Amino acid sequence: MQETIPERFKIAPFLVFYLIISMQIGIGILGYQRTVSKHSDQDAWISVLIAGLSLHIILWMIYKIAETVNGDIVSAHIYLVGNVVGKLLSFLFIIYFFTYMLTVLRSYIEIIQVWMFPDLSVFWFSLAILLLSIYIIYGGFRTVVGIAFFSLMLSSYLFFIFAYNIKFADFENLLPIWDHSLKDLLLGSYFLPLSFVGFEIVLYFYPYIKNPQKSKKWAHLALLTTTVIYTALMMLTIAYFSDEQLQKSIWATLTMWKIVKMPFIERFEYIGIATWNFVVLPNICISIWIISRLLKRIFHIPQKKGAHLIAIATLLIIIFINTHDKVRILNEYIGRAGFIVTFIYIPILFICIMIAKRVKKK
Amino acid sequence: MKKIWLVLFLNFALAGCVNDNIIDEINIQAGASFDESEDGMFIGSILVQNYLPDKSVENQVYTTEGKLPRDILLHVQKKTAGELVTGGLVITIFGDKLADSGILDFVDAYQRDASIGARNYLATSTKKALPILEGNYGSHGVSKYLENLIEHNIKYGDIPATNLHIFLRDYYRKGKDPFLPEIRKVSEDEVEVSGISLFKGDKKVGVLHGKDMFYFKLLTDKHTQGNFNIHIKKEIKSAVRSIKSKRKINLNKKDPSLIDIQLELKGEIREYTGHKLTKKTINDVAKKLEKNVEKECLKLIKQFQSQGIDPIGLGYLHQKQIRGYNFDHWEEDYQNLSFNIEAKVNIVQTGVIE
Repeated sequence: MQETIPERFKIAPFLVFYLIISMQIGIGILGYQRTVSKHSDQDAWISVLIAGLSLHIILWMIYKIAETVNGDIVSAHIYLVGNVVGKLLSFLFIIYFFTYMLTVLRSYIEIIQVWMFPDLSVFWFSLAILLLSIYIIYGGFRTVVGIAFFSLMLSSYLFFIFAYNIKFADFENLLPIWDHSLKDLLLGSYFLPLSFVGFEIVLYFYPYIKNPQKSKKWAHLALLTTTVIYTALMMLTIAYFSDEQLQKSIWATLTMWKIVKMPFIERFEYIGIATWNFVVLPNICISIWIISRLLKRIFHIPQKKGAHLIAIATLLIIIFINTHDKVRILNEYIGRAGFIVTFIYIPILFICIMIAKRVKKK
Repeated sequence: MKKIWLVLFLNFALAGCVNDNIIDEINIQAGASFDESEDGMFIGSILVQNYLPDKSVENQVYTTEGKLPRDILLHVQKKTAGELVTGGLVITIFGDKLADSGILDFVDAYQRDASIGARNYLATSTKKALPILEGNYGSHGVSKYLENLIEHNIKYGDIPATNLHIFLRDYYRKGKDPFLPEIRKVSEDEVEVSGISLFKGDKKVGVLHGKDMFYFKLLTDKHTQGNFNIHIKKEIKSAVRSIKSKRKINLNKKDPSLIDIQLELKGEIREYTGHKLTKKTINDVAKKLEKNVEKECLKLIKQFQSQGIDPIGLGYLHQKQIRGYNFDHWEEDYQNLSFNIEAKVNIVQTGVIE
């Protein structure tokens, strides 16, 4: 039931590190601070830390699932409930990733519209990005991974920009530490998924990893890295803003760039947001690749054709998401779906697979 | 070949996406001022700087009346030759009457506008704000001049660090009130920083002048470089320049209604009119300065207390240091606070002569 992937299409285990990070860091990081701190104020960074660390258990489950069935999520579903129902279940994930990709793309366009060019055309910009993504996907999975790697390298200089904020930050704002109940802290964590989802992609490209066992530590390391980045940024945000001020900032990270002053550029956000294209691109590429891969596994549609279908569907739908409210609702839904997939669906799948394994052995 | 067509097509697709702004054809807003006028409207002015070929700068002020801060931009748009953009704004001055009745509407427009930086300066003026903008100072243009004026007064003078971000941060913080520098037009080619205006919420309630500014900075900011005169006896005077200051404000561990304020000052003697500067006299100067700082700072805090404003952020201190502090009775608690100020002055230099 599992087609074998030729060795030359597979990727080295350490590349999983870049894949996961570039998929996790996308649109969420630009504005996650507000929703988290709504419930846990100055303790929001603890919420982030809790959410990040708890994901390691989920990642461990994901690897267990993949190892047991020696394949991706479609194999897991087929292993569990048979061919037809298994494929039907997997189909849900096409919708999930499609919505995810749509959310990322549309949110990014919205950011460009609000921060730089109010008259940017959604359709044409989407078309350009999608064409580029399809072109990348034509190169195969290895090219997608390469883009993930490069985009991370090229945009990593943005970290240094936050040095400007440290001058205006007062880390005493973090006091008193742990002033909230566990319930509030967890409520804060609950609103994080959109920022953290992405690490479960292991479940889709598992067959493409050369030595899956070795990739485990890289996957965990990637998860840890994003957790550290998110936590540190959360702390800096709390130190930089005052409470109510943060609640007013939709894109706190971008607002933080407003303080940047360089002799050669008046407004740094223009450079920052343009660079963010590099961060968004792998998000879209990987999503499209995963959907086209699922299409191939379920309906036997060639991946190239699948990519075209997705692009056309995206263009048709994205023009109807035309207000900030719709984008916000989309973000909310995908965040909730992300929560359900990572914290409910995967543990259930894990338990079922473990039971099925026992039963099948007998 | 196919790919080349694709690239060409994409180029055209992207070029059509947004409007272009050519730098020679737009007017960049460099400064703004707002004054109150009758019947609930206000007068807004926008300063645009034209950079002429001979490297000089031409200041141009457009003035209109409006009801909303954004009206100003729209109305001025009708007067300017090119499109007006806000990205270059560095200074905004609020007239005295407007500052008394609240400036949040204007500041809100600023934080909403994605292209306005958080580092630009806000200031109040002693009288109407418009004349300040219409002056002619320095050779780099009015906005640059005013920006430098405030900037160096923050670095080396008696103004605590301030900008749009800090104002908003303090405004939105529970238990802290914002402040802004106040500037005054002296003559057609001269302006000066004349004080610090204190706000309650977004309304100006008072102004600090002269030496009070020095103490205020000592209480609110981390580093201070300010000059300070001490009279040891009637005829002996000395000027002390503080090099660095540190402040520590804490709630007393035993009694939370007592606030410990520790001020540490490192300074150098710049001027001395007595006969000889001995160790003893240096000590005297230091002691005298300590006493002065303690007395004046206490006076200042008491003044804030009676005005019901909290620019130092004592309310926020309560929130930081008391777990689960209930803000509802802060106003009451504030009035019952007592203070214990300890100043320590350390004279480290006496100049190049003894």
